Amino acid sequence: MTEPTPGPEPAPVAESRPGGLDAATGTDGGGGSLRRWLPFLLLVPVVTIALFVGAGGDDAGPPTPARRAAGIAGEVRCPTCEGLSAAESEASASVAIRAEIRRRIDEGETDDEVRSFLVGRYGRDILLTPEGSGVAGLVWALPVAGFVLGAGLLVLTMRRRRDQPLRTASAEDRRLVEQAMGR
Amino acid sequence: MNALAGQSAVLFGFLAAVSGAGTTVAGLVRKRPALLRRGLAHVWVVLGAAVVAVVVMERALITNDFSLEYVAGNHSRATPLLYTVASLWGALEGSILLWSLILAGYLALMARRFRTRADDPLVGWATVTGLAVAVFFFGLMLGPANPFREVVGKIAADGAGPNPLLQNHPLMAFHPPVLYLGYVGFTIPFAFAIAALATGRLGEGWLIETRRWTLFAWAFLTAGIILGAWWSYEVLGWGGYWAWDPVENASFLPWLTGTAYLHSVMVQERRGMLRVWNLSLLIATFSLTILGTFLTRSGVLDSVHAFTESPIGPAILGFFAVVVAAGVGLIAWRGDRLRSPGAIDSPLSREGAFLANNLLFGAFAFVVLLGTVFPLLAEALNGERITVGRPYFDRMVTPVALTLLFLMAVAPALPWRKASGELLRTRLQWPAWAATAVVVACVASGLRGLGTLLAFGLGAFAAAAAVRQLVLSARRNGMRGLLGRANGGMVVHIGVVVVAVTFAASSAYGHRAEFRLSPGESASLAGHSVTYLGTRTVQYPSKRRVIADVKVDDGKVYQPSLSLFPNATQAIGTPSVRTTPAGDVYLTLIAAPRTPEAPAVLAVIVQPLVMWLWLGGALMVIGTFMAVVPGRRRRPTEPASAPAGEYRPTAPTPPRPDPEPVRMPEPVRDPVGVARPAEASGT
Repeated sequence: MTEPTPGPEPAPVAESRPGGLDAATGTDGGGGSLRRWLPFLLLVPVVTIALFVGAGGDDAGPPTPARRAAGIAGEVRCPTCEGLSAAESEASASVAIRAEIRRRIDEGETDDEVRSFLVGRYGRDILLTPEGSGVAGLVWALPVAGFVLGAGLLVLTMRRRRDQPLRTASAEDRRLVEQAMGR
Repeated sequence: MNALAGQSAVLFGFLAAVSGAGTTVAGLVRKRPALLRRGLAHVWVVLGAAVVAVVVMERALITNDFSLEYVAGNHSRATPLLYTVASLWGALEGSILLWSLILAGYLALMARRFRTRADDPLVGWATVTGLAVAVFFFGLMLGPANPFREVVGKIAADGAGPNPLLQNHPLMAFHPPVLYLGYVGFTIPFAFAIAALATGRLGEGWLIETRRWTLFAWAFLTAGIILGAWWSYEVLGWGGYWAWDPVENASFLPWLTGTAYLHSVMVQERRGMLRVWNLSLLIATFSLTILGTFLTRSGVLDSVHAFTESPIGPAILGFFAVVVAAGVGLIAWRGDRLRSPGAIDSPLSREGAFLANNLLFGAFAFVVLLGTVFPLLAEALNGERITVGRPYFDRMVTPVALTLLFLMAVAPALPWRKASGELLRTRLQWPAWAATAVVVACVASGLRGLGTLLAFGLGAFAAAAAVRQLVLSARRNGMRGLLGRANGGMVVHIGVVVVAVTFAASSAYGHRAEFRLSPGESASLAGHSVTYLGTRTVQYPSKRRVIADVKVDDGKVYQPSLSLFPNATQAIGTPSVRTTPAGDVYLTLIAAPRTPEAPAVLAVIVQPLVMWLWLGGALMVIGTFMAVVPGRRRRPTEPASAPAGEYRPTAPTPPRPDPEPVRMPEPVRDPVGVARPAEASGT
């Protein structure tokens, strides 16, 4: 294969062809590399088990009314302040909402019933979490779509660039070089 | 008198900026170096005018000149001196004045730094851009945001005083100027980016000229954001420091794109790639500072329809549109020259990691921007009111942030061009062990929650990778090994990890409760006990304060209070916080007792680690300054330096990012550096 690279060192280009990685590790000898990777591989189950245990059962048991109330209050906007939830704010409106949530939970309403009561009284925008459907759904979908698009574009450009044949100098290029060299 | 002096100074600054920009453009078009030098010198006049205007305003505030609307609206005779001085940036008009002063200061620094190169068209176009921005801000003060407007009619004997929240904590005196130093600092790199596009010198020259400016701006922005969070924590009394509210997001957005830029710029310096992308990031960063000003200063957040009530909103929005249009237009115009000659060989490489970093920061910024403006858009487009609050941001941002932590661990271990599995194994081995140890230890000590544990583990992974690099570098080069971009950057990474871990821990393991306590009664929360001792009332010239004495854990007595300002109806609570490295006990007085024996209502919030947030922020700033100081310089004569022919005086190779002695000799000698058409044609 002739290499019409412009640079003085054609070697790196050959080295960076796809497959270079496998070639490099392959020459180390399969069994040896496995042994050297062993400490790394051992970590995988350890981390997995630890995270599994950690992600599992919260020690608090079934949610108490107070915790349920705090949870709902955290999802509700303080109607009179900027950027805070009803759980965090000491504005009188928030204090009233907290008391109302607690009262309804004590009366045996489910979390969803309490939420729909609040929506009925203050409007949909009392909830801090936008809906997953309708116009509000866009706020969830757009970033995901954007990310996928961006990642796709990135992969595509990378792949196209890599698959590009080595650039050869066109007649135009040669003319430019000659010109620049001052003939 | 003050009004006349102030308005004259602003007018003078405006005219100087217009004339400076005009002179420079004339010099550029007619290729007359003398005009270029004269244009650059105008910057000093602009600075002088801004200083005079600020001094006049401070004088008016300190001498209680209530004939000025701004003084009457934001100052009172009872306001203490510190808050009087800080009133300059307490409201819209004054903050535009501060912005103009800082902008003029940066432009003057630029003029000084490049005084021997005033003939250079690159500097010329940067001057034009900087002065054009100054024209806009001085113009704002001449029209819609005039800080020296006089009171019509009778002059009051006393003013309204600053917003009570703004005279409650000394941090108010520092947070806005530091934040503005960051915001405005991005003007200089932006000006050079525009100059690079205008002159067609799109190589790496302009990047290297503005490297330190960008780092300083970024450090100030970081410090400003952290100080803002701290102020929020110490003053607002809800126990948190970050609420994802639009004002916070407005400062965070340019930080995100600026951070992306700081990383991707290295790919361009090293490999000559990503030119369009880097220019776009800088233009985006600058535009976002303007958009942030629009969001926070135009009243648009109260209602979409409010911002047209004052002309300031449309003016800033118009400027934003001009900046974006100019940036996009220039990039499109220069598109052909921006095509980069290099290519990414393997995704598993330093440049591949930087691209992933940029994708994630881009996604992060997009989520924050969308979440901030979506309610406005929805209301403007179909009249629907939608709230996008904390749960949205938490849910969307957490995966991005965790992936970024992972990347922070892996990326510094990756070499340029291509990594081998073997290399990664040796470099990541002990960071991986450290991460596993931390996760296991956390789970064993009873901590729960997948996201939080992942944050701890990935944080340990990233921190260990950074420490490893610093240790290796220090072992080779001594204390100097800690300086330079790569090593300073690792210190910043450790700061980021500290902030991220603190954020995760304090959001997941915080406790909050309210107690109604009579004097002498105690309550306990999350292992801490608080005893309410009683209240007392203190009368200050500017306010009346009800102070509760609360003993925490049978130790020191803390004093949360409620302040009543004469011009405010609602009492402003001032929290009192017991801070220890392990965690904070945060006390607020919610309801003062009617009689001394009656019970008071106290809110108690127990959160782990919080103070590490400020320390992590400080570490980020210190690390940035360490990155600004050049690390060990390789002299071209030094045998260890690159082979002859590699040395490029125009674009010195950045300090080698990886101090690993064994693996280092890259087989690849950047062939891109040999032929860079755009660079060659420009210089």
